[in-house]
Amino acid sequence: MMAWIMFLVMLVLLLFGFPMMVPLIVGAVVGFVMMFDGFDRMDFFIQQMLAGIRPTALIAVPMFILAADIMTRGQSANRLVNMVMAFIGHIKGGLAVSTAASCTLFGAVSGSTQATVVAVGSPLRPRMLESGYKDSFTLALIINASDIAFLIPPSIGMIIYGVITGTSIAELFIAGIGPGLLILLLFSAYCVVYAHTQNVPTEAKASWGERFSSVRKALWPLGFPVIIVGGIYGGIFSPTEAAAACVLYAVILEFVIFRSLKAMDIYAIAKSTGLITAVVFILVAVGNGFSWIISFAQIPQSILGTLGINEAGPIGVLTAIAVAFFIACMFVDPIVVILVLTPIFAPAVASAGLDPVHVGILITMMVAVGSATPPFGCDIFTAIAIFKRPYWEVIKGTPPFVVMLLGATVLVILFPQISLFLRDLFFL
Amino acid sequence: MDNGAPSPQKSTLPGFLGTLDNGIAKVEAVILATGVLLMAINTVANVVGRFILGESLHFSEELNRILIVMITFAGLGYAARHGRHIRMSAIYDIFPTNIRRLMMILISFVTSVIMFFLCWYSVSYIYSVYSTGRVLPTLGFPIYLIYLWVPVGLAVTGIQYFMAGIKNIFSRDVYLSTTVLDGYDEQETEI
Repeated sequence: MMAWIMFLVMLVLLLFGFPMMVPLIVGAVVGFVMMFDGFDRMDFFIQQMLAGIRPTALIAVPMFILAADIMTRGQSANRLVNMVMAFIGHIKGGLAVSTAASCTLFGAVSGSTQATVVAVGSPLRPRMLESGYKDSFTLALIINASDIAFLIPPSIGMIIYGVITGTSIAELFIAGIGPGLLILLLFSAYCVVYAHTQNVPTEAKASWGERFSSVRKALWPLGFPVIIVGGIYGGIFSPTEAAAACVLYAVILEFVIFRSLKAMDIYAIAKSTGLITAVVFILVAVGNGFSWIISFAQIPQSILGTLGINEAGPIGVLTAIAVAFFIACMFVDPIVVILVLTPIFAPAVASAGLDPVHVGILITMMVAVGSATPPFGCDIFTAIAIFKRPYWEVIKGTPPFVVMLLGATVLVILFPQISLFLRDLFFL
Repeated sequence: MDNGAPSPQKSTLPGFLGTLDNGIAKVEAVILATGVLLMAINTVANVVGRFILGESLHFSEELNRILIVMITFAGLGYAARHGRHIRMSAIYDIFPTNIRRLMMILISFVTSVIMFFLCWYSVSYIYSVYSTGRVLPTLGFPIYLIYLWVPVGLAVTGIQYFMAGIKNIFSRDVYLSTTVLDGYDEQETEI
């Protein structure tokens, strides 16, 4: 009963267009009032909000945002793109495959889907259009391939999942690589097939001299994945320390070595990072207050019981999680979905004996897929804002990608090894 | 991230209130940027210290704890001012300007009330922290002091939304905040 009232109120406020913190706050307040007969314990909510933003691991989020913000304004992204192009640009569909691969590579440098759309999509879309790709295909490819960035470490979604479930962020990071590459492989295959059927002309082949020089230019930005993956798995860095090392490295690259940014730029970059951080962290704060009250009221158990998920077995639970996160992300921002739904499924995950890392990867995947899926996936609106194209054109090419992504999801559910084999290799 | 930080916009409030509003905007921006820079310097210094000097800064974690509260609650008002809080506007966007304006008036006032509501309870929470006399273990800094940003940030945000509501009552267009007109592409932002 209480749960229904809470979720109904939240849904109405959400659809009405309130800032997303409002449905979370009001939902929690309804919970507090019904649970404690009035507003007496509201200071618990404040306490839980502040507890929500306290974990040290969360500091990695603003640090990775800052590093990405510096790189997006500098030259790192372009150098990576040029290197990928020099190697695979000339094959049939090479430009499209390069776009997907560049998104993946940039994902290894930044933790944010949106930064990837800007950094890779902005330079490559005009080139794809010039060489004869349809805009609907190009936009769909950029939106969906940027989602690979969410799976490739570092990933802001994984940090938040790791913090609220107490799962190792380092293990999540490495487990994301397998599914990320699987999706890249599927997308690349589709790009090649598409280029053949549409007969898109191929690009000139780069000489080995050009390739060598492009690698040399990309060597500096390629240091980021070395710091993140090498640093964390070598046991040198915690994820937060790796994020700090990335900030330092980004500052050295863009301000000192490439000289693409001036000292004065740092104020604007810090302000923009602070703004994005605050917008995310207020949601983390109120989301924590919300999940505290629903756990206290044992709402997850009753929902899971009603839906019969507790008896569904591991595959059933994973499927339920996949469906719930996928649908939710078609409507709501990924961070909010992770904050609200993760605690609801937590008891089922525990009772089915599922590996929290595997669940985390599945959730990250579904969040990424849902965000790129019409009608309201938030990546679609990012693309509309950045490329200034109408809604219909942006979503027209997405169905094949969504199908591939859902296929990849089924594979990850059925074969946990896709996400876990690298983790087991490094951590067991 | 797409368009960087919004450029400073002048307050639309008359006279003294406008000056005050511009002042608050400036302070918010400085707190936000300084907070992020201090956090970056602190976190980087901690890493460098651990690897080069073999010793981490023992106060680093507590300093970041102070800074993240500061960034979150200073940024709360700043994001409201620039209409950058994440919202699901897909259904709202379908409606014509007049209806959207009415919806925005409701959204602004209700959000404002909620901010003041939380502000009230955050004061009572801070008072209870104050009564326990807890301090940060290493810095010896009283914990209630780091939380003082919370009611201030909530109140500033409440005022922002209240003024956005007023602005919408007296204008023909729809405003996301006192300065940001709805329909600009620039406000799309999320991680």
